[in-house]
Amino acid sequence: MSVRATNVLTTVLLSLLAILSFFPVYMVLINSFKSQAEIFSSILSLPTQLHFENYAQAFQRINLLNSVKNSVIVSFIGIGGIVFLAAMAGYKLSRTPGKVSNIIFFLFIASMLVPFHSIMIPLTRMARSLELQGSTYGLGIIYIGLGVNMAIFLYHGFVKSIPRELEESAQMDGCGEFQTFFRIIFPLLLPITVTIAILNFLWVWNDFLLPLLMLTDVERYTLILATNMLFGEYTKEWPLILASLVLTAIPVVIIYGFFQRFIMEGITEGAVKG
Amino acid sequence: MLQSGYKKYMSLLAFVGPAFILYFIFLMLPTLGGMYYSITDWNGLNRDYEFIGFGNFVEALREDPDFIKSLLFTMKYVIVMVVLQNVFALFLAVLIESKMRSKGFFRTIFFMPNMISMIISAFIWTFVFTQVLPQLAQMTSLLSFLDQSWLGDPNISFFSIILVSLWNGVGYMMIIYLAGLQGVPQSLKEAAIIDGANPFQSFFHITLPMITHAITICLFLTLNGAFKVFDTVYGLTGGGPGRSTQVITMNIYEEAFSNNFRYGYASAKSVILFVIILIFTFIQVSVMKKREVES
Repeated sequence: MSVRATNVLTTVLLSLLAILSFFPVYMVLINSFKSQAEIFSSILSLPTQLHFENYAQAFQRINLLNSVKNSVIVSFIGIGGIVFLAAMAGYKLSRTPGKVSNIIFFLFIASMLVPFHSIMIPLTRMARSLELQGSTYGLGIIYIGLGVNMAIFLYHGFVKSIPRELEESAQMDGCGEFQTFFRIIFPLLLPITVTIAILNFLWVWNDFLLPLLMLTDVERYTLILATNMLFGEYTKEWPLILASLVLTAIPVVIIYGFFQRFIMEGITEGAVKG
Repeated sequence: MLQSGYKKYMSLLAFVGPAFILYFIFLMLPTLGGMYYSITDWNGLNRDYEFIGFGNFVEALREDPDFIKSLLFTMKYVIVMVVLQNVFALFLAVLIESKMRSKGFFRTIFFMPNMISMIISAFIWTFVFTQVLPQLAQMTSLLSFLDQSWLGDPNISFFSIILVSLWNGVGYMMIIYLAGLQGVPQSLKEAAIIDGANPFQSFFHITLPMITHAITICLFLTLNGAFKVFDTVYGLTGGGPGRSTQVITMNIYEEAFSNNFRYGYASAKSVILFVIILIFTFIQVSVMKKREVES
């Protein structure tokens, strides 16, 4: 087969697969503007009339602004905490030789293999006794505890590439240890910080089971939980469900559009180091 | 720079302490707690519990057909997923890598489903399975095979679950394989072609050995992820009909939170899951590491 023919063939094959892959999203998108009757009669065609009231209703039913607010609070606390605490710990562990720091580092790394389902029962109980259950802030804090291990691992590796002379000269100039870290080191960690923040955002924002176990009050539901509840309650009301699915997916797709390059680099970076 | 022992530990404590405390409370203690509860008969309703040794483990593996069934179902899922997810991801990566101009476009399209949370993906596909495909089947007799009970018949819903998991997960692995493929020097492939290798030979003898590291990583990620599958099945079938598509994580969840609150017993099951994942991961990593050294 000539090179040209192969080339055309791969393009055709890729395009077909791309259409198939995009098909479900396209179906949800066009049908979210239809009435129930129109969905049942002509599911493939474009809507004859745009029923924006589906969206108005979905907006209300999943309490969109409030759910987004809750998701933002959880993600902000979780990711902020993971980045700051893990950067400090990863940096120090990387710079301190000796048995104690090796053991601590090993404990962090080993825990990366523990599946969430093996800890969910004691974790739920722990959250209840600390009175963190039911609170978005509490959920954010729990994410810090569950997420620092991988972040520490990544920071630990990255810090090795930063020359020690920088800290030493800063300390000669009279910087304290914390000052040295926050003024000199932390800014230098930016590339890996971006990676860590993105990986954790995708995890925390899209996570389902932990919020399901932790958040009991509808007012505190994250976006994913609110949509899950709506899906369970209005099983057959497709216009409403589809509109809410679109609303739930939009924030992530927008973020994907903006940060695509960083997300893909982050995944490769995280995977290669791991 | 010399630091006194005391000062060194104080600064270690100040920097590592905050992260370690949260890690200790929310990850380490629950891990140990789960192991501890697994040898008790604690249920959520009673305050008191007793040690019953390995009783829970014996019960789970011997007298709990639902658990064994979920274990076997999960195994089947893991095997199919690990193979298909990697084959598809690598296949896509190779095709995309060969493109010059449209590379970015296809990468964006195939990776996009990965951005959508798994439970939302499951809902999107529920619509496709229950509404779109049956209507498609009615339109032409050519597509009548699409009229299936995609989520109601356990034999078919296994494939539906696989399909949705692939749709959601292939993109991630594809990105890692793409990065791996970019590391294969063009000169090597050209040399092989000059020496008369066909594209398949060049792929299996040049490219594949050069990306062993990426394969190790992706096998590790898919293996780990597949054992922990929950959201997709929860959203698509809820484990049903009956318990026919129940995966192991769901069985644990049901035992602990929606059935009879037998926390001790559910903990034993989760320890079994942990051990299975450890064994498989260990085997996979050690086998692949050996290969990496050889190639």
